[in-house]
Amino acid sequence: MNVGSGLENDGTIRELQYQISMYEDQSAYKSLFFLLFPSLQNFAFSIVKSRVLAEEIASDMLLEVWVRRHKLTEIDNLKVYLFVSVKNAAVARLKQENRFSRFSIEDLQVEFVSEYGNPGQSTELHQLENIIAKAVKDLPPSCQLIYKLAKEDRLKYKEIAQILDLSVKTIDNQLAIALKKIAHAITSHSSKKSEQ
Amino acid sequence: MCNDRIWILMTRKLSGEATSTELKELDMLLSPLQEYNNTVFTKIAGVWNETPAHDRDFMEATYLAHLERMKDKGVVISTDEPMLVEDAIDNKRLSKRWISLKMVAFAAIFIAFMAGAWFLLTAKPSFGKDTYTASAIKEIKTPKGVRTKIKLPDGSDVWLNAGSKLNYDKKFDGGIREVYLTGEAYFDVVHNAEKPFIIHTSKVNVKVLGTQFNVKAYDDDKTTETSLIKGSVEVFLKNDPSKKYLLRPNQKLVLSNESLVLPANLAVKEEASGIKFNPQGEITELSYLHDEKVDVESSWTRNILSFEDEQFSAVAKKMERWYDITIVFRNKRWEREYMSGSFEKENMEQALIALKYTTGFNYRSEGKRITIY
Repeated sequence: MNVGSGLENDGTIRELQYQISMYEDQSAYKSLFFLLFPSLQNFAFSIVKSRVLAEEIASDMLLEVWVRRHKLTEIDNLKVYLFVSVKNAAVARLKQENRFSRFSIEDLQVEFVSEYGNPGQSTELHQLENIIAKAVKDLPPSCQLIYKLAKEDRLKYKEIAQILDLSVKTIDNQLAIALKKIAHAITSHSSKKSEQ
Repeated sequence: MCNDRIWILMTRKLSGEATSTELKELDMLLSPLQEYNNTVFTKIAGVWNETPAHDRDFMEATYLAHLERMKDKGVVISTDEPMLVEDAIDNKRLSKRWISLKMVAFAAIFIAFMAGAWFLLTAKPSFGKDTYTASAIKEIKTPKGVRTKIKLPDGSDVWLNAGSKLNYDKKFDGGIREVYLTGEAYFDVVHNAEKPFIIHTSKVNVKVLGTQFNVKAYDDDKTTETSLIKGSVEVFLKNDPSKKYLLRPNQKLVLSNESLVLPANLAVKEEASGIKFNPQGEITELSYLHDEKVDVESSWTRNILSFEDEQFSAVAKKMERWYDITIVFRNKRWEREYMSGSFEKENMEQALIALKYTTGFNYRSEGKRITIY
């Protein structure tokens, strides 16, 4: 059985935050983990490029949520807070591993979720997903990351800008580039098909 | 650059960031490109709106690994295992738990305060916002001898046994679904993981997501009982919020209402079975009636009055509520007599005669008052 992810429901996160803070609600904590862990782990991975390290970092940040549960309601946007914490921890970890390496937004390895919710989806849709995935892989890493954060993790432009220290205008432009490339890949694929 | 503008607006539309002016602008830019619009853009939108899915079992395993990591770092968060009383008494753990216990106690006081406010102001404790709406409380009360079935606003079904009372907010639209129960009720709760369902009784709070179970919490009974038919429930003790019990299907939790005084029937069972008795509560398996389909605990919802290996004193309480009578024991010896039975179509007289033959007592009835001797 699959469970949906994507962080579209900000209201849910706020409510879980409150439940954990006021009632030490363990099932709320678990729900929060289910909602955020995959996204945080993927985000950490894009920076440290190691699955084990990424899991450790995401797990550590969510551990802090429980340890500081009584002050949880003071955090305005928990999602952004956790993404920023993961970024800082990942960059620190990178420096620790190799003190000459410096974090650059162009040196990222972005991984996308390969599983999608709908098992009964048409082969046509599946094919389309592959074309888009290929097109996205050819984008510059920073562009890939912004696309992933917007599409997969359902973050708002303002939130992505906050997390990556960029302007909303940059997010606008980067996403436009991604979409243009994707559209191009789709058109050239269908024109190739019609030639056959 | 007009071309790039289309892409900016398109992504804004997909990610829900576009303003209504931007949406209109996009429509205008797209109208000369009708064909393109229909093919490429709808395809992109289709893929964009797919939500990534994670295998639930994989996530459960990842969560367990996370809890293990937390434990390694000294952060203990109990999960599926019901907390054992031994754990709480364990001195080594006591110091570590102290701070969190204090916080739990604080939370308990807070909850108690909110619950108090709920009753006093007949208003609902709401999330963050203080929206007290007077007289929004619905109360359903059954007299002795009468049972009823209610549908809650969320679609959950509640059967209310005789001599019971159920209160809830008419709107039922808070972050949690809450009801207040005195007496006995059988719940069939509609699953909603985002809105836990909580039953408040005088001794315990029962928390569920969606499931079928029976709660027996009469103030004049010796015990408070929670029996689970399907799903899972958590039971929190009001006088000791650090303790919680997790029930699995076909389990029944019996908690003594008189703290420190063992329910007599449990004490006897303990001797017989050799199982160490937990002074706070005992989890047992549910008993089933002869056809193995109806369990004793929820049989009353099918108009069956049943009891399995219970003392006459407890059976008498059930009969008092069921038939709207008063039972007085002239000879106290009969109170401790164990009996089993189930009555479906029998009236009060027929039931008493049946019990009389299997147990050996005599009785006299004057109107609604029955004397056992």
